[in-house]
Amino acid sequence: MWDAVVVGGGLAGWIAGIRAAQRGKKVLLVTEGVGTLFYFSGIFDYGDVECLRHFPKHPYTLFDAQAIVQGQHFVQEICPDYVLNDTPQFAFTVLGTVRQGDLMPRSMALPDQQEQGEFVLLVPEGLKDFFPEIVVDNMAREFPGWQVSVKRMQVDALAEWTRLGKNVSSVDCANIWRSEEGQRALAHEIEEIKRQYSEAVRLQGKVFVVLPSLVREYFDSSRTKSFRAEFSLPVLEMSSFVPSPHGRYFAEYLKHIFTDLGGELMIGARAVSINEEPTSESQAKVCQELIVNSMGKSLRLKGKNFILATGGLLGGGIKVGMARQSICEGVFDLPLFVPKEWSEPQFFAPQPFALIGVETDQFMRPLDPASGQVVWDNVYVVGRMLAHWDPWTQRCGGGVSVTSGYAAAELV
Amino acid sequence: MDSRGELAARLDACQKCNVCTAQCPVAKVNPNFMGPKGLGPDMERFRRGQIILGETTLDDCSNCKTCELTCPSGVKITEMILEARRAVSKAPHKNTLGLKLRLRGYVLGRAEYLGKLGVIWPTMTNQVLKIKLVRLALDKALAISKSGPLPAYRKPLEVRVDKGGKIRASVSQQVVYFPGCYTRYNEADTGRIMIKVLEHVGFKTIVPDFHCCGLPLEANGQFEKAEKNGLYNLELMRPYLEAGIPIITSCTSCGLTLKEDYPKLPTTSAQHVGAQTYDLFEFLWQLYEKGELPLDFQEVKTSYGYHPPCHLKAQGIGIPALRILGLIPGVKIRNLDAGCCGLSGSYGFKAEKYDKAMKIGSTLFEAINVGAGRGDFQAMTTECGVCKVQIQHGTGLPTEHPVLILAKAYRLY
Repeated sequence: MWDAVVVGGGLAGWIAGIRAAQRGKKVLLVTEGVGTLFYFSGIFDYGDVECLRHFPKHPYTLFDAQAIVQGQHFVQEICPDYVLNDTPQFAFTVLGTVRQGDLMPRSMALPDQQEQGEFVLLVPEGLKDFFPEIVVDNMAREFPGWQVSVKRMQVDALAEWTRLGKNVSSVDCANIWRSEEGQRALAHEIEEIKRQYSEAVRLQGKVFVVLPSLVREYFDSSRTKSFRAEFSLPVLEMSSFVPSPHGRYFAEYLKHIFTDLGGELMIGARAVSINEEPTSESQAKVCQELIVNSMGKSLRLKGKNFILATGGLLGGGIKVGMARQSICEGVFDLPLFVPKEWSEPQFFAPQPFALIGVETDQFMRPLDPASGQVVWDNVYVVGRMLAHWDPWTQRCGGGVSVTSGYAAAELV
Repeated sequence: MDSRGELAARLDACQKCNVCTAQCPVAKVNPNFMGPKGLGPDMERFRRGQIILGETTLDDCSNCKTCELTCPSGVKITEMILEARRAVSKAPHKNTLGLKLRLRGYVLGRAEYLGKLGVIWPTMTNQVLKIKLVRLALDKALAISKSGPLPAYRKPLEVRVDKGGKIRASVSQQVVYFPGCYTRYNEADTGRIMIKVLEHVGFKTIVPDFHCCGLPLEANGQFEKAEKNGLYNLELMRPYLEAGIPIITSCTSCGLTLKEDYPKLPTTSAQHVGAQTYDLFEFLWQLYEKGELPLDFQEVKTSYGYHPPCHLKAQGIGIPALRILGLIPGVKIRNLDAGCCGLSGSYGFKAEKYDKAMKIGSTLFEAINVGAGRGDFQAMTTECGVCKVQIQHGTGLPTEHPVLILAKAYRLY
């Protein structure tokens, strides 16, 4: 019997699992694949929290301001490299443009645009889908007073790839930067840049090396990094194309925090249905067992509480049949809020289908939209599965997932 | 009906997100390998157009199944690659391996015959395999790496069946144990302890004279022989399966084969084998949940690092061994989960793959060395025999099957 069974290994699921395990609960996290964190940029967006908290039925209305701050502090607690400022923070996208973010690793946060300085974009030879000319142009446009230049580098560990004319993904690069050999090569290259730009360093004192990948040793998922190269110039990380190194290593990092706290991960198993405890008509049902498909047979997982973090349309938690004849939640078959209009013709406009999801009471327990009654007493819905929010136009994906995951873990 | 499952069976479920390639242990170290997405779903379109690639390209896949576990859309990537290898091996124009590599596939695929040969006179076999010149000859003649950690042979595990193969009336208190070649020929002592544990928890244990499960054959391109073995084993299991007796595995790769491949074989007993096969600890956990597992543990004051084998993950049952060991007072376990060990059955024994296999395992070795160096643990534990061999080869740390820890707690060892 588990204290909590978390279904889904995305951001909300991991946060819920880690917090519950930290509170001494016996937690099992069931996931089919590696989860959507592999597409995560490394930056958490919270959106305009004050404004969204007054949006009718938005998930933020379920939480008080304190709960939202608590979630942010939790992220900082598990990864101290995340910094939270009163003023907005900015980072480079993979195209060299600037985007705002609410919670980002120290090494992604850009310096003040108003100041003067120099960026040196350090590009490993053969990096896939990365176009330094475009990136440099965009960087110069975003930072008008700054000098921007490119330096290319050969990576010894990738010599065989270069010889074959094969591209290297940013995940592969991050893998090398995180090895002792890679850190040394990078330190050497940066020292070289410092020498080359000694004049600029002397005059302005602000030269940043910009790298299109994850470089620093935070998210140390192997928990083995006994070395740390000191770079002679400050290094800025850009976000990357997917699968992203920040996302990959963050996911691995969360997994290790979770298992070190005693949590168990069951990967490769798909949750398909549940068994309930018989209750009287008027009461909310109590879920007893989650049934998952393992290889060759079904497993029954008994739990006191269940946290549903299977994602929305993109994550696979909500399935839409041909011509939208069926729209359903795949594990509990929960009633869904489905907007009357499916889409708006304007591509970048808020799309109604983004609001699809499960409506809940203030404890994140699923409601029947028709009757307004709680359907399951011991099931908590978190993350993208919640109804009435739009991560794309409201830019609050990280915020809703972290806040709801954390809050659900406090309830189990 | 499950629409996702149908989709997954189809090629179009692949969204080209590349997460599988980002996670593939082989693609990380081998630039010539196009990765699971390329070799699986991408090339599949060409294969549908009857363009058949050479087997050497396909052969770079180590069959660890990490890509299948990783895929957010449930695409059966390894299965696609294996199917393609099967097709190549049947292709009329022999666009396949040279004689040497085919011969090697024949030898490495036959872990069972090697075992049977090896255990005739284990000490001699082991001594011979230690001779550098012999390993050099194997390297030259069969491209079996001279540095690979070939496991030693010991007195084999005994077959245990009732005379006449009769099933006793109290069928619920019997299990069939599928030891697998590694336990049977290389580490029979562990197999014997496994049986002691099963008997201690109240189950009479039957060990029929099984053949190799077939996985090494499949991984070495011997598909027909693999299927033959499967059918033979299913025939031996038939009376037990029909009587509802569970089949217990202690090797995670045998377990996966019984659960994943056997149900597809063309025989009636194939219907039951998936649902009735249990990893040892999966079985013990079920007993524990029913309140039937004896909890007469003595304290075992040791710390272990744990390595989850790829083929345990692929079973989708979590890590029941850690749940059971967590019940024993004194035992401390750190789950390293630092990726594939690299050996992947017989992959790392191959001359051209040895270095790659060691590189794949380097992340795990690093995690073990640092953890042991810090004093977090003194030994390693993992269910898979070849992972164990590779871990000992890569780190020098003693490694044992988790059942030995349980046996210590039960005072059986």
